[in-house]
Amino acid sequence: MDLVLQIIVSGILLGGIYALISIGLNIIFGVIKIVNLAHGDFLMMAMYACFFLFTLKGVDPFVAIFLIFPGFVLLGVFIFRVIIKPLLGSAETEVNTIIATAGLGFVLQNLALMLWKSDIRAMETSLTGQSYEFAGIMLSSGRTWAFIVCIVVAIVLYYVLMYTKIGNHIRAVSQDSDAATLMGINVDKIYTLTFAIGIGVVGVAGAILAPTYNVYPTIGLYFNTMAFIIVVLGGLGSFTGALIGGLIIGLVESFAGVMASAELAQVFSLLIFLIILFVRPEGIMGKGARV
Amino acid sequence: MKQDKTPLILGILAAVLLMVYFLPLQIYVKHILILTLLYAFLGTGWNLMCGYAGRLSLGHAAFVAVGAYTSLLLFKNFHLTPWIGMLVGGVFAVLVMLLIAYPSFRFGVKGPYFTLGSIALAEIIHNLLIYFRDHTGGSLGMSLPYEPTSLAMFQFDGKEPYYLVILAFWLIAVFITWKMERTRYYLEAIREDDDAAAALGISVNRNLIIAACISAFLVAIGGTFYIQYYRYIDPYSIAGFTLSLNMALVVVIGGSGTILGPTIGAFLLIPLTEVLRMTLGASLPGLHLFLYGILLILCIIFLPKGIASLPGKIRAKKAKKEAQTNQGAEGVL
Repeated sequence: MDLVLQIIVSGILLGGIYALISIGLNIIFGVIKIVNLAHGDFLMMAMYACFFLFTLKGVDPFVAIFLIFPGFVLLGVFIFRVIIKPLLGSAETEVNTIIATAGLGFVLQNLALMLWKSDIRAMETSLTGQSYEFAGIMLSSGRTWAFIVCIVVAIVLYYVLMYTKIGNHIRAVSQDSDAATLMGINVDKIYTLTFAIGIGVVGVAGAILAPTYNVYPTIGLYFNTMAFIIVVLGGLGSFTGALIGGLIIGLVESFAGVMASAELAQVFSLLIFLIILFVRPEGIMGKGARV
Repeated sequence: MKQDKTPLILGILAAVLLMVYFLPLQIYVKHILILTLLYAFLGTGWNLMCGYAGRLSLGHAAFVAVGAYTSLLLFKNFHLTPWIGMLVGGVFAVLVMLLIAYPSFRFGVKGPYFTLGSIALAEIIHNLLIYFRDHTGGSLGMSLPYEPTSLAMFQFDGKEPYYLVILAFWLIAVFITWKMERTRYYLEAIREDDDAAAALGISVNRNLIIAACISAFLVAIGGTFYIQYYRYIDPYSIAGFTLSLNMALVVVIGGSGTILGPTIGAFLLIPLTEVLRMTLGASLPGLHLFLYGILLILCIIFLPKGIASLPGKIRAKKAKKEAQTNQGAEGVL
């Protein structure tokens, strides 16, 4: 019984991490309708940023979040203006943004490889290797804090999207960008802002992951597929969907990882994803029709 | 109606490539040529489904892997010649493709959803290859048992025979694309507007599924060629995301949905990456792929329809210019 409970709790914590990684992707995917294949590589860059802030300047990861978020927001604005914007609004937008962000992924991975070599880096913070015990269940402290940060980020973003003017505009653009333009919303500005927020949030995710996961140039690939699966699983553009998708994949991996093996765990979550894709392409929480 | 020049261009191209075979080239150049033709072949196969059906697959490495592992396992365990193993692998790849293509087309899974589904499929194959390590060698991969040069066993000591084989494969693939485009499969019509094609009574889903299956079959054959040429495969290099992506890049950069687009893309990208790797790879690891990524982004931004669209673009510009000068002349008169 204890084992089952332990697996469930670990699964939820893992799901929280996955959800945090997916939120940024989901916003970009939901509003601008583009697939950012370099998403995992932005995560990798944020992990490096956190790693170097800690090892060179002694900045605690929780403080680093407040430095990395604005930095990544600016990076997002730059990338959107230079790479994404010229590709929008043509018949090939869908394919070309995928290819261009794949190229961007190459650029970021190999930039990391050139600057920091392929060494696997691990940082020792107060969280590393620690765990809390609660009613006989062990909680990895790194993952627990990542989970808490995920909840906080989710609440803040939810508030911004639902109760502020800018959030209102973002939701309007996501529903119908043409109609939004007619209502006097500057769609271009909203796209830039959305992309920037998406990249900023993945920056936060990278910062909070750095103490628990090792950093190396291709770590992004590991999280990339999972993040996309969670986004589609939960529902494109659906906020709560990303959280639920993250929890499902976290639980499946946690159970299958204990019962079978790491590879089969992946196969299981991928199969669930494919079935949902065919049966309910709008995702578990999604309302929209098929694209 | 404009006469179709494709067979003529194709004939000239094939003749030129055949003549290259007789040139006394360095072994490294030969390797690049074989690699280029392999990617031209894989890209042509990929294009058949993705370029025409408008569904971007980033999981075609799954079919390469099915082809390569099937023929290799049959050869290793039963000493079956890869020429037959290759066809068996192709059939397996078609079955795998049906598993995903039928529901996709049936339920209208399109756009990013289809792309993500294809990535998931390749990841499933990738993980299964690692999981069944007792048979596949797991992450460590497997090598091809050596045999002296033998046409029957698809193994040669020199590089030259491989060049001829992949040239023939490529030619067949391009020919099939041309035939499929022009004949009863109406791929051209479906590419332009699938709703209109359906309204005209073309069975869109059936034709797309056939195109997808041929695509999987061809790509799987490319997998067998891969293992026969490299003599070693591992799940990461043959079922990983990089191979899927490279196949797509070759086509999109060259011009997707065109007969020779994939070939143009392969002849541009593959020698470029190899030369960049050779000149820069040793001095600073990562630099060549960094530059490659930047080039890709620039290509996509400035040539969103691929290089195959360039002649048409230039022609359109010229026509526009002529129209302008004509107008100017009329104005003077």
